[in-house]
Amino acid sequence: MFLAPSFALIAVFYLLPVLLTLLISFTDMDYSFQWNWVGLKNYVQMVSDPIAAKVFNNTLLYVFSTLTLFNVGAALVISLITVHIPERVGQGYRALWLLPRITPSTVYALLWLWAVRQDPTALFNWILGFFGMQPVNWLHKHPWPIVILVNGFVGASFGMIIFTAALKSIPADYIRAARVDGASTLQIIRYVELPLIKWPLMFVTAYQTLSLLTSYEYILLVTNGGPGYYTTEVWALYSYHLAFAQYGGVVKFGYGAALATVLVILGLVLSILYWRVFRLKELMIEPKIEV
Amino acid sequence: MRRRGASKPVTILAALIVGILIGAVLGYALSPKAPVATTVTAPSGDLEKLRAENKQLKAKVEELTKKLASAGEGEITIKVWTIGPDPPSEYRLKNFQIAADMLNKWLAALGSKVRVKIDGQFFVRPVEWGEYKNKFYLAYKSGKAPDIYLTGHEDVGFLAANGYIIPLDDYIKEYWDVVYYDVIPTLWEAVKYQGKIWAVPQDTEARPMYFRKDILKKLGWSDEEIAQLPEKVKRGEFTLQDLLEVAKEAVDKGLVERGILHRVKEGYDYFQFYLAYGGRLWDAQSGKMVFTKSAWRKTLQWFHDAVWKYKVISPTQFSGDWDKDFHGPFTQGKALFLSGGTWHKGEWVSKGLLTNEEFNENVGYMLHPAGEPGKKPVTLSHPLIYTITKQAQERGVADVAFLLITLVTDPHLNANHAVKSSHLAILYSEISDSRYKKEPFLADVAYMLDYTTFIPNHPKWGDYSRIVFNVLRGVESGDLTPDQAFNELLNGIKGLGSDAVIIED
Repeated sequence: MFLAPSFALIAVFYLLPVLLTLLISFTDMDYSFQWNWVGLKNYVQMVSDPIAAKVFNNTLLYVFSTLTLFNVGAALVISLITVHIPERVGQGYRALWLLPRITPSTVYALLWLWAVRQDPTALFNWILGFFGMQPVNWLHKHPWPIVILVNGFVGASFGMIIFTAALKSIPADYIRAARVDGASTLQIIRYVELPLIKWPLMFVTAYQTLSLLTSYEYILLVTNGGPGYYTTEVWALYSYHLAFAQYGGVVKFGYGAALATVLVILGLVLSILYWRVFRLKELMIEPKIEV
Repeated sequence: MRRRGASKPVTILAALIVGILIGAVLGYALSPKAPVATTVTAPSGDLEKLRAENKQLKAKVEELTKKLASAGEGEITIKVWTIGPDPPSEYRLKNFQIAADMLNKWLAALGSKVRVKIDGQFFVRPVEWGEYKNKFYLAYKSGKAPDIYLTGHEDVGFLAANGYIIPLDDYIKEYWDVVYYDVIPTLWEAVKYQGKIWAVPQDTEARPMYFRKDILKKLGWSDEEIAQLPEKVKRGEFTLQDLLEVAKEAVDKGLVERGILHRVKEGYDYFQFYLAYGGRLWDAQSGKMVFTKSAWRKTLQWFHDAVWKYKVISPTQFSGDWDKDFHGPFTQGKALFLSGGTWHKGEWVSKGLLTNEEFNENVGYMLHPAGEPGKKPVTLSHPLIYTITKQAQERGVADVAFLLITLVTDPHLNANHAVKSSHLAILYSEISDSRYKKEPFLADVAYMLDYTTFIPNHPKWGDYSRIVFNVLRGVESGDLTPDQAFNELLNGIKGLGSDAVIIED
């Protein structure tokens, strides 16, 4: 009974859209909004669509790089550093990392576009200028590193908060005991702290994988899938472009929905996989002893 | 004391009257004489025609007013959606406000208590065509569609087939002698679908290849050679290959930073290069789009060479910015050629990037040159149209909406738009409008319509265009070789189905 409101929310905002997306994916719906059933045509087309294959590879590159380098990697490094330095400095540093997340996405993207533009006065090229190097058109020459940086700077803060909270909840006795035993800071991190934040690490990895899979907002704003032939187009962006954003206003809700359905299925499969591999069930069970 | 006090205001008043009198005398003596009134007579034929049209229009208004009178007092709101996206095209909406004012005055004069109000939207960048059309369809589905919807002519088939708009044949027949007889006939072809007329043309344009005269002079061209360039292009003696050579020379000599500029976002302009190589877009007999393999191969090779061999187009042009990578470099004389549209001239002048004098002195315009000797130079037109939605009919305001469209399809009102935004006339009588005639640019480019092609009115045209844009972006960025690009393009087009596109060698 108490769970009814949350079930209702899940039903209306998750299950119903998934069901509608699934149904639309079996049609060739466009702006005529006609439910012309075409069976599995959109899925067959997807398999033979060379662009879909390229976009799939892009998505793997994007999710893997952003996740390992920033959403988990940088988040962990920032947390570890900031809990091992004086509290006030650590807090200030973490607050800085929250800035990208609290900045409106269009403003944030615009700041990046200014920073990486070709002019010698743009931030990146201005730094190059100190070393006597020629200005570079970063978005054209190195689109992927920029896309990963743009997303990573936003994504890192989520893991940072979770990891910092977990690190701070480690009883101080453990750290003191390790120090008494002569452990260095690195050894404390390796043998005490990291094993104790295993669950948050796995949770953030699982959660952020799923989150990155469906994210496209910053890529849309910064490269819009370019600069070349679907260079930075990821799966969710491809689906969006087909379904909503064509120059002539011609849309493919059916094919776009089929692409989105694949994301839903992929998300479910990965969720189950993470659940099993990371044994997340153990995270949820009642503790055997009361601490 | 009292008498002295009472005499003061009288003295002041007397002085004032004397002052006014002196002022009036001086004013009369010194002011320039008014010119002797001259009677300007319009040619009697034109005058009679105008009178007849006016009479007919008034009769229509009167008839409509009687209909409206039954609705009693009140205000009829007509929702109008228009787009630039270039800001100078604002008269696409403003003309409706002018027309509504005019109509309300007539209604008042005829004793009606009904008034017409325009609830208008004029969308400009950053809203582009795709977003504008999205808004329309979603508004329609939520029952909030505009009554009058401006769009590109290529949408007529889709809008008509799916019941978004109503046919206008009966209205046009009714108002034919008022104004529609005067519409340039080819434009009617752009608004027909399955034998019916579904819209009224709003404007048209040509897409010239602009060039900087001052740069050509610095390259050693004589004034005569420069003046002759559009003619040479017209005769097919100056080809796209020559364009590359001249642009390269200007870049190599350091006269410009960029040789050739093209639009920075998706659009239809790129198809001109394909047409210049002899490509066909439309097969009127079968009603299908056409993919001419040989022309596409040459087009892709040309874009590749322009970027990577001649280095006259920037590899980042497609990810550029309208101001920094298109308008700016050309108007500042940092680029030699610009593949643009007639409306860009209006944009440059209204944005203050060029004055009319600077434009006339330094900028020339020609057709897009033929791809190779023996082929024809080209341009492309994309007439915009006013449609009336089914929801307007359901609300019972289609009659008023059409009357307003008829009022804005007026040579003088449409000339407001044409002159301000550098679009071309849709009416024969508009060409002789005094403001239109004062704009030599519009007269100069009129011949280009003899070389124009319309965008196909096909539901899958947007797909064709998107595939081409993505492939060209791949070629310019260096992601695709011309061969790879051709294969991607061909595969993409084949995916549209043989019922949509004819693939020919």
